[in-house]
Amino acid sequence: MKLRNLLLASFGFVAFSTTTALAERPECRARRELLDLGNPLAITRAAVAEQHQLRIVAMGSSSTQGYGATNPMFSYPAQLKMNLSAALPGVEVHVFNKGIGGQDAEEESARMQQDVKPEKAQLVIWQVGTNSAIRRYPLDKFADRLRAGIDIGRSIGAEFVFMNLQYVPAIVALPDEEEYARVMSDVAKEKKTGLFRRFEIMRSWYDDGMPYAQFVTNDGLHLNDFGQKCIGKLLSHSILNAIRPAQFIDESKAKN
Amino acid sequence: MKAAEPVPPYLAPGRDLRLDFFRGLALWFIYLDHIPTNIVSWLTVRNYGFSDATEIFVFISGYTAVIAYARMMLREGWFRAAARIYRRVWQLYVAHILLFVAFTAQIAWVSLSRDTHSLIEEMQLLGLGQNPYRAILEAAMLKFRPVNLDVLPLYIVLLATFPFVLPLVVRWPKSVIAGSVVLYAAVCHFDWNLPGYPDPKVWFFNPLAWQVVFHLGAAMAVLAPQLVWFDRWRWPISIAAGLFLCFAGFIALSWQYNWLERLVPELLARQIYPIDKTNVDVLRLVHFVAIAWFVRLLVPKDAPFLKWRILEPVRRCGEHSLQVFCVGTFLALSAQVVDSFFEDSVVAQVIVSIAGIAVMCGIAYGARWFRQEARPGALA
Repeated sequence: MKLRNLLLASFGFVAFSTTTALAERPECRARRELLDLGNPLAITRAAVAEQHQLRIVAMGSSSTQGYGATNPMFSYPAQLKMNLSAALPGVEVHVFNKGIGGQDAEEESARMQQDVKPEKAQLVIWQVGTNSAIRRYPLDKFADRLRAGIDIGRSIGAEFVFMNLQYVPAIVALPDEEEYARVMSDVAKEKKTGLFRRFEIMRSWYDDGMPYAQFVTNDGLHLNDFGQKCIGKLLSHSILNAIRPAQFIDESKAKN
Repeated sequence: MKAAEPVPPYLAPGRDLRLDFFRGLALWFIYLDHIPTNIVSWLTVRNYGFSDATEIFVFISGYTAVIAYARMMLREGWFRAAARIYRRVWQLYVAHILLFVAFTAQIAWVSLSRDTHSLIEEMQLLGLGQNPYRAILEAAMLKFRPVNLDVLPLYIVLLATFPFVLPLVVRWPKSVIAGSVVLYAAVCHFDWNLPGYPDPKVWFFNPLAWQVVFHLGAAMAVLAPQLVWFDRWRWPISIAAGLFLCFAGFIALSWQYNWLERLVPELLARQIYPIDKTNVDVLRLVHFVAIAWFVRLLVPKDAPFLKWRILEPVRRCGEHSLQVFCVGTFLALSAQVVDSFFEDSVVAQVIVSIAGIAVMCGIAYGARWFRQEARPGALA
């Protein structure tokens, strides 16, 4: 008898949760100013316009590797390639995935040369900061590694877009995650590189009422299919905005 | 062991229907959870706490491994039992390779019927494109396991080491638990894992960590009667376990509702996240143990609902778990394709969920029919 009541109660609860979940349909979007990379991508623009070939290296950790997505096709680098190819007909787009889970600025700046040079990349998306924040890597050393990585990349002809931390429970709970985002923003300004504000974009999803379950796996750290696909889509918009601003800005699904 | 003690499960006669039932349920959950956007997956455990169907499946696998082979070892010797275990490992391996071929063939078929470009793309990303010969070699070595094909390799590794655990767990179950926990702790601390393919990848279900769930299950098949010792603290333990389940439920629901999420103190969040699945986070483990404690209290071996006809399909799926698991993994991919064709409509999600489970049940009844054919009268 008691067991049956318990079962009924849980069933009612599940039904309730299901209907509330049904009510909402997620939409992948971000305010226009959040998609501004802050610096033009001159090398990328030239590569698209003159060589009709764009070679991108996605440097980073587990987000780049696609941990948390049910299919590697959904990882943001794969989505980036898909979206850019569709938006740039006649341009051959390559995206080389160099994500290694658990790494950050220190290891990634150290392999910048060997991972970027053979691919002859014009653009490096450097997804970084998350694991440094988790490991409490000193902020000044973090900044130095970012600068070092950029200098190496530039010496072999690539320009950069930083992708900062993800806004997820495991990162938001850290005492100083915003410090790492701030350092990235400072270095981006100082070095005149692009900055894709993943942290601020994802925070705006959360503030607009999107639940974590919509974009984070239940480890509380990694992006799920929706999160990966949406970041890939918004990053594509940002890059396209940066290489041909006037034409593209209206096409983006930016809301304001 | 003292003579007065009741018989441990591995020596007890008759089939423990709880194992079939909960394993069948876990298989249904795994199928539902493997479909990326699926409203029906709201029914599965993972939305109400830290652990999910994987823990249930691996725990029961450990438990049934002892039941299946311990008596054989005592009667016919270790060598005979070990040979039988390796025959089972071989069956699992064959099933996994078949599933791998069928699974990649399905991806190829879907991509081909859309357009060839995305085929190359997808195969490449899965690791098959650039060097297919290498990928096939790595698949045969269990290092290359595209999407959702992670569970069987875990089971294969766990069962392949089981002949060496079996004599120990029958004699010294508590020492096996202790050793297993020590290995688990070391793995979490030093971040050990087995290598995967392509290179920097590792096992999504780290066997060195997940062995703790398997061996806990194995030890319980020997230790179960001694658990009455804990019953003197039945209430305090139940209250603690209940509070933990409430806490886990609260955190899990906070992922769905932002107003709940804002109630979680930052200091607490810092302690609990990330809740790692690759190395079975300790929160997942404790959550599973709390659930198991209540199942032990609330669902005795002779619980009447286990024999209800309406629940028979669940039990049948649990009885033929290998076939049902493989079919479920294959169908979850088909379901994903169908869902995306109908733009993830809720009706499509519900229909493919029900249809998939119906096929899994059909396979289970078919497998039962074949077994009865082979051994007439063997099944009562």
